Amino acid sequence: MTDVHTLAGAYVLNAVDDLDRAQFSRHLAECPACTAEVAELTETIAALTPATAETPPDRLRAAVLARAATPQLPRETRRAPRRNAAHWQRWLAAAAAVVVLGGAGAVGYTIADHSRSGTQSAAETRRIAAVLAAPDARMQSVASGDGRVTVVTAESQNAAVAVLANLPSPGPGHAYQLWVIRDSNPRSVGVLAAGRTDATELFSGVRGAQAFGVSREPAGGSVDPTIPLVAELPLA
Amino acid sequence: MTTEPEQTRQQVTTTPVDVDELMSQVADGDQDAFAALYDAVAPRVYGLIRRVVRDAALAEEVAQEVLVEVWRNASRFDRARGSAAGWIFTIAHRRAVDRVRAEQAATERERRTARASVPFDDVVEEVTARLEQHAVRRCLDALTRVQREAILLAYYRGLTYPEVADRLGAPLPTIKTRMRDGLIRLRDCLGVSWR
Repeated sequence: MTDVHTLAGAYVLNAVDDLDRAQFSRHLAECPACTAEVAELTETIAALTPATAETPPDRLRAAVLARAATPQLPRETRRAPRRNAAHWQRWLAAAAAVVVLGGAGAVGYTIADHSRSGTQSAAETRRIAAVLAAPDARMQSVASGDGRVTVVTAESQNAAVAVLANLPSPGPGHAYQLWVIRDSNPRSVGVLAAGRTDATELFSGVRGAQAFGVSREPAGGSVDPTIPLVAELPLA
Repeated sequence: MTTEPEQTRQQVTTTPVDVDELMSQVADGDQDAFAALYDAVAPRVYGLIRRVVRDAALAEEVAQEVLVEVWRNASRFDRARGSAAGWIFTIAHRRAVDRVRAEQAATERERRTARASVPFDDVVEEVTARLEQHAVRRCLDALTRVQREAILLAYYRGLTYPEVADRLGAPLPTIKTRMRDGLIRLRDCLGVSWR
């Protein structure tokens, strides 16, 4: 699945030939996480369209509207059954429960809490669930003050979920920032809102990375992490 | 790109209408809703196609096909799988790319060379200049050079990822990965979600 999955970017950019497209479409049918990813990347690309917007000639409008007097195709009578939110929440609950059994009460609690309060998008919640449910998911955890930083990594999905729970306050005008470190190069994977001490963050690009770190930075984040890190965990 | 009057830019970049709502009315055969939908998306559809096919007359022809296809297939649009705008721009881009590739096949290498020889920096410069006021600009800047060029070459030149790899002198798997990484980073930067 991994190899096909990396085609998601090329697929939404139409940078594939017909063979690739057919192969990836088949893959999509059996990979809900990929379907969600394709949907989001499609929206991402749509955000580029204002950059090239251009008023078309008036005759285009007339021609199009004239042809819209022709009949439309009928509705499809049968639709593939869609997985509903309840389905995902059951999956999420099960995944969270597994993690709790694995010994990370903080993870189970925080994510269950998120799914209830709906602070994350359904798609993100699904991706978090997919990481937690991955057969190769690995969990690591480290204490920081009275709080704890936990990371669940699913290398097969090139993604991980970090849970920051009850960290000390970063102080006025400061925020926690998350990093993935590869070959000694830190890459920012997220900045929490200023003052925030609890979070569940999904990030990608963990394959081949050596470590995950949390640093304390001025609100809005920094280009490079401030040393010493607040917490660091090996990813490899 | 600065030659365009500011007013035109404003007009074509803001869409106060709810495209999804219009789309559901269009699916019921509502022609007035379709006219409103046209006004909301046509500048972005036409502009995108024109960027890819690089010829105004051809862009007009392809845009017409696309917009009529949107009308005819309106009932096939599935809100659960994404936004109406995303669906429409996907069709527009696909048809534009198909056209470019069909022409390329017709005139084979000659055409391919001509297409590849258009200075790529022009595309990047032009697009990013128009995005000056957008969050998208900052997010594109945050990509690595290879991520950004791979995405823009595929999107605005209609190149396949093997062609992009060839153009950038990078291995195939790298380009495939960079396209995805880059879009994911763009998504996270823009805070895009579809539900």
